Amino acid sequence: MFRYVSNRLITSVVLALFATLVVFLIASVVPGDPILAMLGDLAASKPEIVAEYRARWGLDLPLWQQYWIFLQRLFHGDLGISISTGRPVLADIAQYAPATVELGTIAFVLSIAIGVPFGIVAAVWRDSWVDHSARFISLVGVSSPVFWLAFIALTIFYGWLQIAPGPGRLDPIDFPPANVTGSFLIDSLIAGDWETFKTAFAHLILPSLVLCAATLGLITRITRASMLETLGQDYVRVARAKGMKERAVIVRHALPNALIPVITLAGLAYANLLTGTVLTETIFSWPGLGRYTFRSALSLDLPAIMGMTLLFAIVYLIINLLVDLSYALVDPRVLKR
Amino acid sequence: MKQSTVQRLAMRRRVLKLLGAGSAAAAGGWPALQATAQARNATLVIGLDISDAGAVTPDPARMNFYTPPLTTRTVYETLITLAPGDYQTLRPLLAESWERTPDGKGFRFRLRKNVKFVSGAPMTADDVKFSFDRLVNVKDQPSAYADNLGRVEVVDPYTVDVFPTNMDLPLLTILTAPSCGIYEKKIALANGATADADAKNTDKAAQWFGTTSIGTGPYKLVTWERNVQVTMVRNPHYWNGTPGFERVIIRHIGDGGAQLLALKRGDIDVAFNLSPEQLASVSDSADLAIAAEPTFDYVYMAITSSPELNPILARKEARQAIAYAIDYDGIRDALFGGVGVRPASFIPYGIGGSSKPFVEQARYGLNPAKAKEMLAKAGVPDGFEFEMAYGTAAIAGASFPVIAQKMQSDLAKVGIKAQLRPMDYANLRTVYYQGKASSVVLSWNLNAVEPWLWGSAAVDRVAKRVHWNVPPTTRTALSAAAAERDKGKQEALYQDFQRLLIDQANLIVLLQPVYRVAYRKRIKDFRLTGAGWMAELGAAKPA
Repeated sequence: MFRYVSNRLITSVVLALFATLVVFLIASVVPGDPILAMLGDLAASKPEIVAEYRARWGLDLPLWQQYWIFLQRLFHGDLGISISTGRPVLADIAQYAPATVELGTIAFVLSIAIGVPFGIVAAVWRDSWVDHSARFISLVGVSSPVFWLAFIALTIFYGWLQIAPGPGRLDPIDFPPANVTGSFLIDSLIAGDWETFKTAFAHLILPSLVLCAATLGLITRITRASMLETLGQDYVRVARAKGMKERAVIVRHALPNALIPVITLAGLAYANLLTGTVLTETIFSWPGLGRYTFRSALSLDLPAIMGMTLLFAIVYLIINLLVDLSYALVDPRVLKR
Repeated sequence: MKQSTVQRLAMRRRVLKLLGAGSAAAAGGWPALQATAQARNATLVIGLDISDAGAVTPDPARMNFYTPPLTTRTVYETLITLAPGDYQTLRPLLAESWERTPDGKGFRFRLRKNVKFVSGAPMTADDVKFSFDRLVNVKDQPSAYADNLGRVEVVDPYTVDVFPTNMDLPLLTILTAPSCGIYEKKIALANGATADADAKNTDKAAQWFGTTSIGTGPYKLVTWERNVQVTMVRNPHYWNGTPGFERVIIRHIGDGGAQLLALKRGDIDVAFNLSPEQLASVSDSADLAIAAEPTFDYVYMAITSSPELNPILARKEARQAIAYAIDYDGIRDALFGGVGVRPASFIPYGIGGSSKPFVEQARYGLNPAKAKEMLAKAGVPDGFEFEMAYGTAAIAGASFPVIAQKMQSDLAKVGIKAQLRPMDYANLRTVYYQGKASSVVLSWNLNAVEPWLWGSAAVDRVAKRVHWNVPPTTRTALSAAAAERDKGKQEALYQDFQRLLIDQANLIVLLQPVYRVAYRKRIKDFRLTGAGWMAELGAAKPA
């Protein structure tokens, strides 16, 4: 088990570095010049200012040297300075990550808490109204574009019904809680500030529902499909033939087996939620990593792009590892093999 | 007595809870909620897209466009300024008067004596010298248009002399730019700032300037979070009356639709990025009003003269044919809500001789017959093909892709085929600045209200990008205009200069939009400005 984990960790590190190399090369061949994109019209026409900026960001060095510097810094735990914010990339990540983790996690919890029971019920009462509505909802969730859904949700619940708060993590006039973890929910609880907790929570509802829509649909469908397949297995028929209660058959016999593909999907879905928040964050003015990555890519902010690539690669690799390990918990056969 | 109040409140809370009353019903009675409502009234909340590539720092010496000047100019004030609507008259701000220095080679400013920084310390000539020297010596972006800012000499604590490097080039108008804001030398020095000649390498205050402000403006910066929010609080030592709000918040809301919702709900007081259609929906609300101000920004098209990029565009007549084929009024009416003016050439409407009679007589207009004639003269009577690059952003609510499509259909009517090349901002600027684009459509933002800045841009940097080999006569015409002291004569000279640009047809200005912003009527004295810092935030007050 230990060897398995350590092998996987080493492979993960190599893969993450490889991902940065690929992104570095792609970013280097696009014709856009980050310095010209950033400088004002007049400054961009002054060769000495352009040269000064190029030197400041190390863009005047040969490609291999630029990547080498990136690696050297990386081993010292330094991701460099972002060109477009002028701050260390690590500081930027530390600032924007909590908002995204908070949003992505709530969305993940919602999609599991709703999707799994919904899928089970739909499978057990196949072709009932529950099944049909589950299928309809998951179809809508999977097929609606996020930006559309986000805007419709804002218009209905914020604009018309006026029961949801507006874009952002708090109302404009609110003060954020003292920074401990960066998560407004946790920090406001630590500070004992119940009002801020409520506001922060209310602000999370719409964006996390919008963000989880597609994932919720997927989880519902995969749970339903997997459950149906399991319910058709011989051992389930045997259990029923033995006269076991239907409830016990479903919960004790079928469910654990049906959950294996759901766990795989859920792991990937969580990684996806954490890294795929760009559109939701844009419409909801959510100061998270998704928007940070998007803006960095637009301005060809190489240090930030590299930092985010590395981070996203690590998120995927770690979550994949956790998914593999969790098989062992659900299915003891994995360890015995 | 106190006890019973608490009990009453507790009782009321239980009753409300039992009734399931929402927060709106409780707002009248709850101290906490009352406090919230008061805080809301004392706060000005602005919805604005602050994700522009240049929005890196509010530091006057390092600031860039497009949105930072709004913050910078609210927390830092300049010696002299321009009032909204009148961009010809220099007005006193931190300086109460100015005149030529005794030797005639510079300007002598007499400073107001009652001005204090946010720290409470008085502003003196030393601070002015430090701020100007740092602007020049850190050699960051704004130093590029402060080229003519030379030696600064302290005469006495309230008198300072500023010398241009070239007396024939303008200086005073440039001193109105937000980058020429004055800040407190002592605190800046203590936080790593320096104005020495080697400040380019030794100034360490770049990040610090993003955490607070040390100016004389009506508000003080407390947070600058890129892409998220800018927060300012009232300057208790403000010299010019009590600023209207306790706090001013610039909230990043990128999407115009979301801004409109937030404005209608009252979560924000001002929405900056609404499209003409969204603005139209504002006009039927009793709580909302629209502030409008003509701007010096404009949408223009730059066309190359390089035969390598496009042999036909290298012919002047072909470029003129394009200029005659564009339906300028149609663009204004369909895409800009019918508001906007059109200058004749690269100097915007309203300054530098760009008066109504001149632009109407000199500029290109839609004239398909003339376009056909020019095509024939260029040797391509059946039209030709060229590439048109543009970004994906928007100006005054009109998106560049839509503007480009409208132009494409206009040009098609005379047989000119424009191939659309949408690009992201970084690539667009790169191909354009490196002179690799056949034509681009984009916007021009002003640095300071000074015609010479536009003129020199046209013949220096923009000319290079479109491969226009500027004849010496054109340069002479510009220098003559810049050096002329008599206003009437100067305007005539700028007009002569512009006629040369118009004939050359490398630069076609499509429209100078009127910026329109929707705001809640609970605030008053909200004025936009065309002078380069978007709005006079310091003047806004609760109604």
